[in-house]
Amino acid sequence: MTQRNSMNRRRFMKTSVAAGTAAAIAPVVIPSSALGRDGAVAPSERVVVGGIGIGNRGTYDLGCFLEQSDVQFVAVCDVKEARRRAVKAMADKNNGNSDCKTYVDFHELLDRKDIDAVLIATGPNWHATMAMYAARAGKDIYCEKPVTKNISQSLILADTMKRTGRIFQAGTQRRNLPHFAFACELARTGRLGKLRKVYAHPMGLKAWMSGWMDPQPEPAKEVVDWDMYLGPAAWRPFHPKQLDGFNFEKGGGLVGGGVLEWGSHCVDLCQWAVGDKHVPIEYYPLEDEKLRAIYPDGVELILREKEWIGLGSCPVRFEGDDGWIETGDSGKMVLSSPTLLAGRKVEEIPGYPATFHVRDFLNCVKTRSQPKTNAEAACFAHITCHAANIALYLNRKLKYDFAKHEFINDEVANRMRSEALREPWRL
Amino acid sequence: MSPDARAALRPEIHSETKHLHPRTITMYKNKYLKHAALCSLLALCHTNSASTLFGQARDTQKEKELIALLKNDASPGAEKAMACKELALHGGPEAPPALAPLLADDKLASWARIALEAIPGPESSAALREASQKLSGRLLIGTINSIGVRRDADSVEVLGKRLDDADANVAGAAALALGRIGDAASEKLLRAKFASASGQLKSDVAEGCILVAERRLADGQAGPAAEIYDEVRLAQVAKPRIIEATRGAILSRSSDRIPMLIEQINSSDVAMQRLGLTVARELKDQQVTEALCGQIAKAKPELGALLLLTLADRGDRSALPTVLEVAKSGADPVRQAAAEVLLSLGDASCLPTLMSLAEQKNKDVSDAAMDTMAKLPGADVDKAILTRLDASTGASQRLLIELVGQRRIAATENLRKAADSSDESIRHAALAALGQTITLDELKLLVSRLSATNFPNDLPVVQQALRAAAIRMADREAVASQLSTAMNGQTSKVKADVLEILAEVGGANALQAMKSAFTGKDTALIDTSSRLLGNWANTEAAPVLLELAQLPPSVYTTRAMRGYIRLVRQFSMPDAERVEMCRNAMKAAKAAPEQLLVVEVMERYPSIAMMDAAIAATSLPAVKPELQRAVLMIAAKLPESDDVKTRLNKIGQKPVTVEIVKAEYGSADTKRDVSDVLRKQLRDLPVIPLPAASYNKSFGGDPAPNAKKQLTIQYRLNGKQGQLSFAEDAPILLK
Repeated sequence: MTQRNSMNRRRFMKTSVAAGTAAAIAPVVIPSSALGRDGAVAPSERVVVGGIGIGNRGTYDLGCFLEQSDVQFVAVCDVKEARRRAVKAMADKNNGNSDCKTYVDFHELLDRKDIDAVLIATGPNWHATMAMYAARAGKDIYCEKPVTKNISQSLILADTMKRTGRIFQAGTQRRNLPHFAFACELARTGRLGKLRKVYAHPMGLKAWMSGWMDPQPEPAKEVVDWDMYLGPAAWRPFHPKQLDGFNFEKGGGLVGGGVLEWGSHCVDLCQWAVGDKHVPIEYYPLEDEKLRAIYPDGVELILREKEWIGLGSCPVRFEGDDGWIETGDSGKMVLSSPTLLAGRKVEEIPGYPATFHVRDFLNCVKTRSQPKTNAEAACFAHITCHAANIALYLNRKLKYDFAKHEFINDEVANRMRSEALREPWRL
Repeated sequence: MSPDARAALRPEIHSETKHLHPRTITMYKNKYLKHAALCSLLALCHTNSASTLFGQARDTQKEKELIALLKNDASPGAEKAMACKELALHGGPEAPPALAPLLADDKLASWARIALEAIPGPESSAALREASQKLSGRLLIGTINSIGVRRDADSVEVLGKRLDDADANVAGAAALALGRIGDAASEKLLRAKFASASGQLKSDVAEGCILVAERRLADGQAGPAAEIYDEVRLAQVAKPRIIEATRGAILSRSSDRIPMLIEQINSSDVAMQRLGLTVARELKDQQVTEALCGQIAKAKPELGALLLLTLADRGDRSALPTVLEVAKSGADPVRQAAAEVLLSLGDASCLPTLMSLAEQKNKDVSDAAMDTMAKLPGADVDKAILTRLDASTGASQRLLIELVGQRRIAATENLRKAADSSDESIRHAALAALGQTITLDELKLLVSRLSATNFPNDLPVVQQALRAAAIRMADREAVASQLSTAMNGQTSKVKADVLEILAEVGGANALQAMKSAFTGKDTALIDTSSRLLGNWANTEAAPVLLELAQLPPSVYTTRAMRGYIRLVRQFSMPDAERVEMCRNAMKAAKAAPEQLLVVEVMERYPSIAMMDAAIAATSLPAVKPELQRAVLMIAAKLPESDDVKTRLNKIGQKPVTVEIVKAEYGSADTKRDVSDVLRKQLRDLPVIPLPAASYNKSFGGDPAPNAKKQLTIQYRLNGKQGQLSFAEDAPILLK
């Protein structure tokens, strides 16, 4: 049994609360009887889940769902026949039956009234659009990151989840890991003194655009439904290189890629560290291999690829007048002083497992509390990434009006806030 | 700005395009014109950097070129697609007429709408409106969607006609576009259609109506909004629409919102109950709090717990009396939830209730109460805990002592007395709490118990407490000093345990203690100290390790030597310091295995100074060939320069010509041609540095997982043909 599996769930959730202390606005520990996690799970307490676009990452996420005794995974939708068969086999083996249904058209899955929640792990091109369709179908949503392709999608996502009353969790699972949560808590609660700088590691300060490649023979629709795969992305001929969600239409528009790919994790953590209520209002072009942005209270967000202590991938660092903390995917933390730890034991969980994030989501499906990376938090984190990408691409300073969600006196930048979806898709 | 940084501004399409130099643009543009994505990149590069490409306003010259491209029938579709994408940024009033014809092209319509949605002004709206009267099917739906995104009020009439389209999907799209526009005319059309529509269209129109109602509510028109929401929620439409409309209906009401909210919460329909719990978190007024409180006692325990969690999320402290009441009288799930919720809503006055819950048999309930008491903020909570501690005995006393430790309340005198209790559970709780609370001056309270305890079972607890105290204290030198002194007269086992703590504390005094143990006579302590030094967490151990490595040879001095080399290899430090440490290591290393480890470090950190250090060490016969290879490898990794040439001359290395005839990497069964990868790495040297840390990373992934692999190179060195094979990740030296 892996460390992830062997960890006592309730104990983790306590740790999670500890890491949230003053933030204990939304208690994570909830009665096991209310959650249906105490051994035999009554049908009424189960969360019935379907999966959409379950490739590599999705298979990992699905494993995290299947670990939960109150999850019943009943359906998979994928444009690739091979994935449909593989996921059905995985689910059926876990469920001990052959009941997992397969779909090519996601509408059929969303139309099922027995499904409470969906795991969306398509390529980023589909994430936000699919989340919106799922929300309008009345499903709660766990959606892989990056969630949105532009600023407009981010805002619509938050509005739609509120309008439809849905629980939404972006797949930025580090918010439910103790070391990251503790670091953000130190920053957020003033224990580092006046917060000055928050640092994120974006993994490649490069803009991406997947274009229109030379046509290649298109597989039969039953094998790969290219039209459905393209979904909301503008049309282009089939090319196998683009048949990988990781490499296709990551950001949309003319920008995306590095800042968004990992920024949706590490910028998201910086957002949590500063309180999740705002986004930076000034964005600067690349200088000395760093992207800078400034929050309204003067806190600097710095995206850089170098000068990290070496605590694993996706590191973040928060600096205040009275101290600093840096942590990463190793699960280890380095603090300016041991007194910041104040005797606390912060569980060291390496390898950024998503189990706890999934559990947080399922808890919230039942309680209707907001999960750690709820739609609004995801919206702001993604806006920050998109705006930083636009400043990177345009190579100039941008000012952002948070009330209007527009760039000030910059027409071109404003045009990059949204992008039309291919017919017939809509947000 | 550096060239690399500037390159980062360009969109990256495929790996083969990202290293293009602007000077080559014209040539590539001609050669690869059919590759539209590349053309897009080239077009951006052609106007130099992005900083000159874009001002804060759009580029009108660019617009003209792009429009011309669109109007040219000979332009490939791919180029037109990318032109649309750029017109989204640069297009002005002249662009929409050029884009409009593409709206009927099933391959390019989506590209054209990217531009038309983005370009402000009436021209774009007009183009979309006109197309929406001619197109059909998916293309028409796309056009209608774009009109909705642009919220073009001039299109309301056109959209209204489309509500009656024979294609239900078109009619549905029109309803949603009207919902987005949301003006009075749209509302009128939607509500009229809602009354007559059925099936899927009715639900689509319902969604349009909800969008309109949402806009009304946001504009402060709660009454009209509620009217629309009510129409939808009471109709036969899809369940999600009923949920959305019910939410809106509650939010837009003032007087009768509470009954409607409670009705949902008490619904036997899980979806409606969940909606009720969601909306209860959105509403901020105290009446909602009162209503929720009123429901808890009546509700089934599971719902009662959910209501308590809802109250916690609302953060309204007026719910506190109810929470305290149900914490006493509720069923277990309710009491557990109440205990948890008191963390958000409670204060010091809740301690009696929480203590009572903590003493209950149900572990979930007691754990929840302890959790909350451990984290409940406020000095008055600390004070209340101490007051209760003074008067407590037995289980209560143990729980309170645990809380003192968890909350780090200064209560040394209380804890010291409890640490002498005849009750082992009290004693151990007190020792653990001392570890969490004592100051540096009080450290001796635990240190003294290492040797003077009447209870042998206490020793591990004392050691654990000592560790907890030591590593949380800021003055590590003082801590280490006290711990070092405390080792005197202890058993070998206790000394070893204290050494473990000292290793975590770190600092000069801790290192001195390690050194003393290493040079002492107790073999167990020599073993422990050498192991701890070998894994030291920073480079402060370097001088001690180097000194110990030069003692008369033993397995422990070898361990010290390797520990020293580990520091050089793993830790960040200034280049000069690393070179110096490499020189020291090479002098101190007495055996070839350690000398080879130093050679590896030298290769890993190439610099002129490191090259000098490697050359200086070539007098060591055991590793001379490896050092000569290291010199070449360092040279190959550095930019060509006179400094490098001078040093190569020093070891007699003259420039060579190398050609890769063929290179393959893989197993016996599966091979990959890596000739081009190696060719890019060639210099005028007989070594080839890897572009990444390993063969697999350098050669595009593992060609044969779990199989033994090798690299085979056919080459010509100064014209002489040769072939060599290298085990996976071996340095590549051609002869």
